Amino acid sequence: MSAETIIKVENVDVSFWQNNVGVYSLKDLITHRKSPFKSKQILHNICLDVKRGESLGILGRNGSGKSTLLRTIAGVIKPGNGKVTVNGSFAPILAIGAGLELELTGYENVALLLALYGTARSNTNVVENIREFSELSDEVMRMPVKQYSSGMVARLAFSISLANDSDILIIDEVLAVGDQGFQAKCAGKIEQLKAAGTTILFVSHFPEGVMKICNKAVLMENGHITHRGDAAEICDNYRMLF
Amino acid sequence: MQNITRIYALSKRNIILRYKNSLVGFFWGFLKPLLYLLIFIVIFKANSGLPNYILFVSSGLILWFFFSNVTGQTVGSIVGSAGLLKSLNIPSYFFPLSETLSELFNLMLTLSVFLVLMYWFGLVYTPRLLLILPCILLFAIFALGLNLLLASVNVFFRDIGIIWGTVQPALFFLTPIGYPEKNIPERYQLVVQCNPIYYFIKLGRTIFYETTPPSLDLWVHCIIIAFGMYLLGQFVFNRLKNQFISAI
Repeated sequence: MSAETIIKVENVDVSFWQNNVGVYSLKDLITHRKSPFKSKQILHNICLDVKRGESLGILGRNGSGKSTLLRTIAGVIKPGNGKVTVNGSFAPILAIGAGLELELTGYENVALLLALYGTARSNTNVVENIREFSELSDEVMRMPVKQYSSGMVARLAFSISLANDSDILIIDEVLAVGDQGFQAKCAGKIEQLKAAGTTILFVSHFPEGVMKICNKAVLMENGHITHRGDAAEICDNYRMLF
Repeated sequence: MQNITRIYALSKRNIILRYKNSLVGFFWGFLKPLLYLLIFIVIFKANSGLPNYILFVSSGLILWFFFSNVTGQTVGSIVGSAGLLKSLNIPSYFFPLSETLSELFNLMLTLSVFLVLMYWFGLVYTPRLLLILPCILLFAIFALGLNLLLASVNVFFRDIGIIWGTVQPALFFLTPIGYPEKNIPERYQLVVQCNPIYYFIKLGRTIFYETTPPSLDLWVHCIIIAFGMYLLGQFVFNRLKNQFISAI
């Protein structure tokens, strides 16, 4: 394992506008000249240094800023302060089904996402590999995604994300959705990618999963990274939260 | 190069999505203006006092439907793409841009059907008709600017999307499409002059209907309005785009 840094996050702050738009805010806007938007800071002074081939677990309560951190690293959210430097390519973020177009068929979604993602050309081989990994039948792939069960959506989303030979894989609590067989298959695939040197960022609420996949981990609370270290140690810290 | 592939993929998606689950699919592109043409013939033709009313109204209708379709589709395009925007690092302006491009494609299909129809009603094919292409280009630049404005402001104030459906028909009847502008009373002329869409409709109609080519003055007006709108839209969009994710 080389010690080259693949993701460097330096003093990153992220703020969201909180939208209080409504009839009352219109009144405020007119009578008090008050802006209907408040700024709320989501991430505070985040620093991270991930080496190539490392797999980092991110733990924390709901709403502690885990997904926002992943999106900031992936470039989806631009930080207000600080800097994110990434020396590699990303697979799309695996939030459950996000990014799939419900009205389009499985095949149409695959073609769209591959084109948008841009690394792999959507040739028949890649498409067939995706279908095979997802274990969805040809008939299902011709159906609009809105008719899929949530497990089928997760299968398709996960398979598309894995199809790109990217340097960094971001997994945002998806593994809990598929059935047992598919979960095992995904875990196997992740192990295989890890062995091949893929860097993994893994968000989960299951310390067992984090311990299995990750060697390092961080714990987040209210937008701060409060603990960082070996996965086992951080998982203990996480359990103590509850 | 990669960006071109991505914009192409999104435009293709728009076209597939628009006519999914509809019987005659993309034929609606020219069936809609055609139905309006019939309505206009029944209601306005006798009062217009114009020779060859069908030719007069056709070009305006095609351009108007391009405008109304593209703004109607795009106003919600950022909000509607929340899933993609949250999971992939793609520039958000791709969405209004691809909507505009797929509607341009629709316009070209509609135009070719109408060209045949208008020939039937006495349109003379001359090289001058090619002027419609720069006219469409300018109108598309104007529409793109307005789309960037509407789509980005709609992220924070969804009122825009709700009210746009009502503003559109008002604009339609305010613009001299089915009736000649000389029928508008003197004191309302200023209202017409302030309507940016009027200039593009007039430009298109001059190319198809009048015997003289469009004046330089009219071209200059269209160019200024198109690029002015584009710059305004781009400016507002750029100011807001970093906060899209928090609001969709």
